[in-house]
Amino acid sequence: MKESISTSVLRVDSRKKIRGEAEYISDWKFENMLYAKTVRSTKAKAKITAIKLPDIPKDYYVVDRNDVPGVNRMRTVVSDHPIFAEEDVQYIGQPILLVVGPDREIIYKIVSQIEIKYQEEEALFTLEEAEKRSTVFTDYNYKKSDPKKAFEQAVRIIEDEYSTGYQEHVYLEPQGIAAEYKDDTLFVYGSMQCPFYVKNALLETMALPEEKIRVVQTVTGGAFGGKEEFPSLNGCHVAVATHKTRQPVVMIYDRDEDILCSTKRHPSITRFKAGLDEYDQIIALDIDVLLNAGAYNGLSPVVLQRAIFSATNVYNIEHLNVRGRNFMTNLVPSGAYRGFGAPQTIFGIEMMFQDIALILGIDPLEYKMRHLLKQNDPTCTGGSIHEEVKMKEIVQKAVEQSDYYNKLKTNKKYQGIGISLFLHGCGFTGKGETLIKGKIILQKNKDVVILKVSSVEMGQGAETVLPKIVAHTLDIPIEKVIYETVDTGLIPDSGPTVASRTTMIVGGLLRECALEMKARWDEAETFEVSKIYKHPDFLHWDDDTFHGDAYPVHSWGANVAEVEIDPITYELTIKKITAVFDVGVPIDERALIGQMQGGIVQGIGWATIEVMKTANGKLIQKNLTDYKIPTSMDVPGIDCDFVLNPYEFGPFGAKCAGELSFVGSPPAVAAAVENALGKPIKDIPITPEMLMEIDNDH
Amino acid sequence: MVKAYRPNTLTEALEILSTEKCTIMAGGTDLMVQRARGSAVLPGFDRPLMFVGHLKELQKIYQDEEGIHIGAAAILTDMMEHELIPGIFKEMIGQMASPPTRNMATIAGNICNASPAGDTLPYLYAVNAQIVLQSTDQKRIIATRDFIISPKKTCIKPDEILVKIIIPAKEYSNNYYRKLGQRKGMSLTKVSLLGMADVVDGNILDLHIALGSVAASIVHSPKIEKSMISKKAGEIKEMAEEIVKQYADLIRPIDDARSTAIYRKKASLRLIKDFMENISQE
Ligand SMILES: Cc1cc2nc3c(=O)[nH]c(=O)nc-3n(C[C@H](O)[C@H](O)[C@H](O)COP(=O)(O)OP(=O)(O)OC[C@H]3O[C@@H](n4cnc5c(N)ncnc54)[C@H](O)[C@@H]3O)c2cc1C
Repeated sequence: MKESISTSVLRVDSRKKIRGEAEYISDWKFENMLYAKTVRSTKAKAKITAIKLPDIPKDYYVVDRNDVPGVNRMRTVVSDHPIFAEEDVQYIGQPILLVVGPDREIIYKIVSQIEIKYQEEEALFTLEEAEKRSTVFTDYNYKKSDPKKAFEQAVRIIEDEYSTGYQEHVYLEPQGIAAEYKDDTLFVYGSMQCPFYVKNALLETMALPEEKIRVVQTVTGGAFGGKEEFPSLNGCHVAVATHKTRQPVVMIYDRDEDILCSTKRHPSITRFKAGLDEYDQIIALDIDVLLNAGAYNGLSPVVLQRAIFSATNVYNIEHLNVRGRNFMTNLVPSGAYRGFGAPQTIFGIEMMFQDIALILGIDPLEYKMRHLLKQNDPTCTGGSIHEEVKMKEIVQKAVEQSDYYNKLKTNKKYQGIGISLFLHGCGFTGKGETLIKGKIILQKNKDVVILKVSSVEMGQGAETVLPKIVAHTLDIPIEKVIYETVDTGLIPDSGPTVASRTTMIVGGLLRECALEMKARWDEAETFEVSKIYKHPDFLHWDDDTFHGDAYPVHSWGANVAEVEIDPITYELTIKKITAVFDVGVPIDERALIGQMQGGIVQGIGWATIEVMKTANGKLIQKNLTDYKIPTSMDVPGIDCDFVLNPYEFGPFGAKCAGELSFVGSPPAVAAAVENALGKPIKDIPITPEMLMEIDNDH
Repeated sequence: MVKAYRPNTLTEALEILSTEKCTIMAGGTDLMVQRARGSAVLPGFDRPLMFVGHLKELQKIYQDEEGIHIGAAAILTDMMEHELIPGIFKEMIGQMASPPTRNMATIAGNICNASPAGDTLPYLYAVNAQIVLQSTDQKRIIATRDFIISPKKTCIKPDEILVKIIIPAKEYSNNYYRKLGQRKGMSLTKVSLLGMADVVDGNILDLHIALGSVAASIVHSPKIEKSMISKKAGEIKEMAEEIVKQYADLIRPIDDARSTAIYRKKASLRLIKDFMENISQE
């Protein structure tokens, strides 16, 4: 019998990475190549009054906005970020110009001699200030049923507010990008998630015709959303530089520069007002989501969309009024990060459920289960839960495997256990997939099959999973499936590598193509099958009213966290995480467990260790000495299990997984800490500093 | 370019230093971080470098009637594995950095870096370790607390090399060490407490308390310690509140990227109290 698709295979990229043979962009050498270094704003908000340059030696160049052949704006959802600063700067770290040349020592010297004069203006930094001054970029609102009336009828109203902090991606490989002309075609190479985003940005900034631009993804050492929109900016930088110098230009960031200027997870505040009926059931919710978008809006509107569409999590609340706002502040722009806004609101609602249950004297898990969504229930946006909901089975497993109730009873003070329930909407939000219309090509070439997609391997396993889907369908060895270089000149646009869409959407298309190829296998030595994504017909979405199916399907899960707090120092130890997920069907179990563990650890980091704050627009934790992420010593044992629930439109039944892994551990850990201390936790990250203060009666 | 010397012997090294000011580099785990200017460019050194980490004369760990001699260039890993190094000191070293860094980092580097977060320092202050400095014509022996003047500043002269550290060959009956960092591994200290006591027949014969990262230098008060010596272990418990108050005046932490002054202060005092309350009777 054929092996199950879930049976793990050796990762296609493991050998070259472990042996150090994989060539990252910083390993690339070009003939006559120049290096670029960015000169950045040192002010949070200012007019640039003068730029004094030293004498620039021969072969060295200064590249700024005057060198941009096309539009000096980075193209994305809201194209507001200048490629190079113009009259003003809006955040510390904003790019103003590049110094380009053959010797980095001399570049550093030139950079140190450049004097920029500013006229400083009053800046603002926090969400609280931004709300007061109404610096709103985006303001969304949707309603379900009749919240006004429901609140009038509610017998009890409970209000609460939760906040979350910044998070830095800390991908192993910092941002790196290069550009060159070959004849008159512009090539941009780099570490990125979305080659076609970079290409689209270049089209406008370089004012070149489509066929004169090629974007090539190089081996990418981690991304987590941090290489979603950002490479469109540094990509344009090197492109403009190569346009001016007519030589290849390479720009690799040091870690400190990367932390200073690259996007981060949006800090957030989520306010809840819950209306309860006489049976303590939540019948109405008023949710107000505030995201700190930083100086430019960029991608933030779609992050905000996912945040507000995830705000009711796995719960069926009849009456809703949900508002979401992105605020402008003079901080580095926030952007995509695994979970894309959902972790912020899901943290909030999970804590809200726990806190209300505790106020009411009801077991939090039982209270949550009372509100659980089921199949065919309406979603918060008035769509429908089309898939079977296996939350009961998931929760039962998590409870049994962690011995949840027993520990809840027997835990002493400073020992805690907590559970979170969660979902993640698979693929793009709303109209996203229908707008992108992902296209893929599968090409038979004698006994090998070439797979042409724009999905990238960035450590998550796409280079293994996608060929595996094809190989398994065609019944050929995985070595016979070749992943075409992700070069926009060679591949179709199957969409960006984001939104946990790669396996489900792109993998689904590959499966369809492979099935067709299998049926036609003997037709010819070489032929091609191509497909364009079509949303299932039963889904509907209205982008103006935010009504309908925000997502085609959801993946679901539950996490149980066990913690211990040191009664003297309030140091927090996470003892164990028990995690159960429904991701449809695992395509490769080991790769999937890797994703789940990685996401859980990243979630733990965000919830506990990863403190990033600002003072007057400057990051306080500005390097990896001060900004810490978990080490193996901080990572607890993680028990990971799956409940099968095949999705009709996913390859072999697969749904989304990559981001789902992240959302559960933060609220589970926070709930466990509440349980350990008997005090509410409203904000993450949870630090010993904060716990000592909360437990002040001790 | 950076000029660098790699002398073959200590004598050769001292001779070079007698004529030219150099930056001494042992493991480089502090220096290379502090002087880094960016990847693929050389770190910024304003003087010639002199490597000393490889000098065999500086790596030895041995014991004689003066105590245990730890060569300046002994790396942390070797100290952790050496039978002569007292157990609690090994435990402290084991919580520093990570294995690769411990394979490079030397004890002299940790001392000369003179950071209040230097993790060997609480021990060296507590046991009154002697620092041995050598130049071509002179040898000086100075107590650790006198050697370190202020953060990043020591009284070493440009022609001197720190050659070894001498600690007493002594294990205490009670040992207590807590290092608080932002995470459990590879973390710089935000508060540390070392407590050691010798208890015989319920009497405190000797006792030391030293704290790291909670003031401009290591907090260590022989005076307060003295008030506890020759007390009964039982009495110490009663004294805890009062003693903690005395330390409170010495602990002057700051807010920084890693913690807050208020947490550092409270945690320090709670740790002192915990140590005192848990000194065992035997
Ligand atoms: C990742 C990482 C983690 C770290 N974690 C910790 C930690 O947990 N705790 C901690 O305390 N430190 C930590 N450090 C700092 C550092 O590793 C230690 O301070 C180490 O002991 C320094 O030793 P070194 O030999 O590398 O010093 P170097 O960098 O070579 O030198 C440091 C200073 O000492 C001087 N010096 C060195 N040897 C001599 C000598 N024989 N005579 C005169 N001067 C000399 C140098 O001139 C320089 O000023 C960490 C560093 C890194 C990179």
